[in-house]
Amino acid sequence: MADVGYVTLVLALITSIYSALTYFFGQRQDRTTFVESARNSLITTSGLVSLSVIILLHALIKHNFQIEYIAAYTSREMSLPYLISALWAGNDGSLLFWAWLLSLMGLVVVLQRRNRGTALVPYASAIIMLTEAFFLIVLIFVSNPFTELSYLPADGMGLNPMLENVGMIFHPPLLLAGYAGLTVPFAFAVGALLARKLDEEWLLTIRRWILLTWLFLGVGNLIGAWWAYVELGWGGYWAWDPVENAGLMPWLIATAFLHSAVMQRRRHTFKVWSMVLVILSFTLAIFGTFLTRSGIISSVHTYSESHLGPFFLIFLGITLFGSLGLLLYRRKWLKSDAESEAIVSRDSTFMLTNLLFVGATAVILIGTIYPLISETFSGAKTELGVSFFNQVANPIFIAIIVLAGICTLIGWQRPSNKEMIRKFLWPVGVAVVSCVILWVVGMGHWTAIVIFSLSSFIIVAIVFQWVKEAITRHRTSGSGIASSFFGLVGANRPRYGAYLVHIAIVIIAIGITGSSSFDVQTEATLEPGESATIKQYTLTYENMEIDHVGDTKAVLRTTLTVYHSGKPVGELAPEKWFYMNFEQPVTEVAIRSTLVEDLYVILMGWDETGAVAYTFMVNPLVSWIWIGGFLFLIGGLVVFWPDRRRSR
Amino acid sequence: MHPRCIPALGNILLRRKKFLIGGIAVIAAIACLSYVGLSGSTTYYYTVSEFIEQGSSVIDQNVRVQGQVLAGSVEQEDVGRILRFTIISDDGNDTLPVVYEGVVPDAFTEDNDVVVEGHLDSAGIFQAHTLQTKCPSRYVPEESGES
Repeated sequence: MADVGYVTLVLALITSIYSALTYFFGQRQDRTTFVESARNSLITTSGLVSLSVIILLHALIKHNFQIEYIAAYTSREMSLPYLISALWAGNDGSLLFWAWLLSLMGLVVVLQRRNRGTALVPYASAIIMLTEAFFLIVLIFVSNPFTELSYLPADGMGLNPMLENVGMIFHPPLLLAGYAGLTVPFAFAVGALLARKLDEEWLLTIRRWILLTWLFLGVGNLIGAWWAYVELGWGGYWAWDPVENAGLMPWLIATAFLHSAVMQRRRHTFKVWSMVLVILSFTLAIFGTFLTRSGIISSVHTYSESHLGPFFLIFLGITLFGSLGLLLYRRKWLKSDAESEAIVSRDSTFMLTNLLFVGATAVILIGTIYPLISETFSGAKTELGVSFFNQVANPIFIAIIVLAGICTLIGWQRPSNKEMIRKFLWPVGVAVVSCVILWVVGMGHWTAIVIFSLSSFIIVAIVFQWVKEAITRHRTSGSGIASSFFGLVGANRPRYGAYLVHIAIVIIAIGITGSSSFDVQTEATLEPGESATIKQYTLTYENMEIDHVGDTKAVLRTTLTVYHSGKPVGELAPEKWFYMNFEQPVTEVAIRSTLVEDLYVILMGWDETGAVAYTFMVNPLVSWIWIGGFLFLIGGLVVFWPDRRRSR
Repeated sequence: MHPRCIPALGNILLRRKKFLIGGIAVIAAIACLSYVGLSGSTTYYYTVSEFIEQGSSVIDQNVRVQGQVLAGSVEQEDVGRILRFTIISDDGNDTLPVVYEGVVPDAFTEDNDVVVEGHLDSAGIFQAHTLQTKCPSRYVPEESGES
C-alpha cells in the first residue's frame, strides 16, 4: 500500500503541473476547453492527494510499522484521536497534510458557486496548483511519508507523551490550515495582476478567505500558547521562539491586510499596499516554514530534518520576487482613485495601524533571524533574548490597540472639534480615573498601570460607541434597547464582529500584562505535613502515591492542601508520569485557576527520605488570555459568517 | 492640465507630504526602539568548543552555550532542585561542567542537545540560569531504521 501512496503523489504532481499550465495558457488564449480540462485536472489532483492521505491514515490506524513514518510516530497502544494526530506530528506527514488542505482549498475555489471574481479563478487556480506542485515535489523527493523500512518492527516508537494533550489535536492542524489558506488570497492577488483586473473584485473575492485563515492562525496560536502553559511546565505561554514567531508574523500581516482591505473598499486607496500585504503574508508563511524546518535557526522546536532548506528557499525566491516584480510591472493599473482627506480621520488611523502591524512584523522578523545576521556580518553568533521582543514589539502592540480605540470614536468623516471632545470625554475620563485608582491602591508597576488605563479607555470607547448606535437604532426602529444592542450585530456583522475582536484583543492584552508584570515565584522543599507560603496561599504537602496505569505507565502523585487567606480551598496534585518506552518522565503541573490569578505548582523532584521539591507560581489574570481568545473566536466568526443577503 | 485642477493638485501633494512625514516618523520611532532594544538584549551564542576557545575572557559574561549532555554526568542535589552535568562538543574533545538551579525541562536527558544560558565562574564551572532542550514535538527516535 505504501507504494500506492507514493505513486498517487507522483500522479498528483503530474496532474497539478498539467492543471497549472493548461489554466494559464487556456486563460491567456481564451480557450474554454483548456480551462475546462485544467479544472478537471485540479479536481483530479485533489482527489489523488486525498487518496494518499487516506492511504497513510489507513496505515496509521492499522499499525503498518513497515512504513518508517508510522513506526516513528505511533505505537499500538495509542488511542484513535492521537493516531490520527500522527498525520501532522512529524515533518513528512505535516507537509502531506499541508498539501492536502491546499488541494481541498483549490477544490473549494473552483467548485464554489460565485457571483464575482469568476474571471480571476483560472489564473488563481493555476497559482494554487503551482504551489501544490511545489509541495508534492518536496514530498516525493525529500520528505516521502511512505518510505518503507527494510524490516517490520513489532511496535512503533509512539507519540512522545508530552504531546498527549488535546492541544496536539487542534494546534498543529489549525496553524497548517492557516498557512495553506494564505495561498488562496496570494493566488487571487497574482491572478488579478496577471489578468489586469485590478479593481476591487479580487479583494472582495478573497475577503472571506483571508478572514478564515486569519481566524485559523489566531486561534491556532492561542491554543499553542495555552498548551505550552498547561503542559510544558515553566509557567509561561509565549517565549518568542522562532517557531512561535513564524506563526505570529503571517497573522500580523493578515491583520494589517484586513484593515487595509476596508480602506480599499471604502475609499479605493491602499491598492498597492493591500497587494503587498497579501504577498508578504504568504511568503512569510513559507519563510517561517523554511526557517524552522531547515535547521538554520536553532529553536526548541526544530525539526530534525535539514534537506528541505534549498527547496523552500528557491520556492520563496520565486514567489516573493516573481509576485513583487509582477506588481511593479503592473503598477500603473493600481493608481488610487481618491486621496485621503484629513490627518485626523479613520484613513490616517488605518494607515498608522497598517504601518505599525508591518513594523511589528519587521521587528519580530529581525529578532528571529538575528543570529544569522550577526553571524554573517560580525562572524560571532549572537542571539536576542526575550527582552528584545518585549521591549520593542510590546510598545508597538500597545500603540495598535490604543489606535483601535481612537479609530472607533473618530468615525469615517472628520468630526468637528466639539464633537470629538464629546466623544472622547467618557473614555478618557474612565482611563484617567482607573489610572488614579490603580495608583492609589498601590499598584507599583508603572507600565502595567498605563496599559490597564489604556485598556479601559478602549473598552469604554467601543462599548460607548456601541450603546450610542443602539440608542439611535432604538429611537428610529422602536425596538427595545437590549434587542437593538444585539440586533445591530446582525445588521452589520463586519463592524460589530470587529468591535468584539478589538475588545477580545484588549482582554488578552490585560491578561498578558497582569501575568507578566505581577507573577511571583518561589521554590520549597517540603517533608510530609510541612507548608510553604506564596502570596495569600499556604500549601501543605500531604502525601505521595504511585499509581500504575496499564503495563506501561506509572503516575507519581503528590497531594497538597491549599489554603487561601487561611481558608481551605481544595487540593492540588502535581504529578510525574513515567513510561516504559520513554526515558523522560513527563511533568504534569497542577493549576488552580481563578479569574484573579492562577496558582501553578510544578513538582521538581523528591528523595528517598520523603522530601519533595516544588516550584510555586502565582500568575495573575492568565485566565483572561483564554477568555479573550474565546471572544476573539466568537468575534471572528461573527465577521466571517455568511451574510444571507449577499448584497455586495 | 485644466487650470482648476492645479490648486487641488497642490492640496493633494500637501496631504501626501503630511502622510509621508507621519509615516517616516513612525518608521523612525520603530527603528529607534529596535536599536535601543538590540543594544541591551544580545547574547553571544557558542558551541562548547568555541566557548572553551574564548578562554578566561568570557568569565562572568552572560552567554549561551550549546552542547550535548555527557552520558553518566548528570547528578541531582537538594531533592532535584540543583542539577549538575557536563556538556561536550560534537567531536567529544571539549567539555564544560554546568550547574543549573531551577525547573528541569522534561526533554532533558543524557546524550541530548541542550542550550544553557548563564556565566562561567572563576572555578571554571558554568552557572546556568536557563536550560533549554530541543522540544520533543518532532522527536525522532534513535532506532528508526537506517537513518
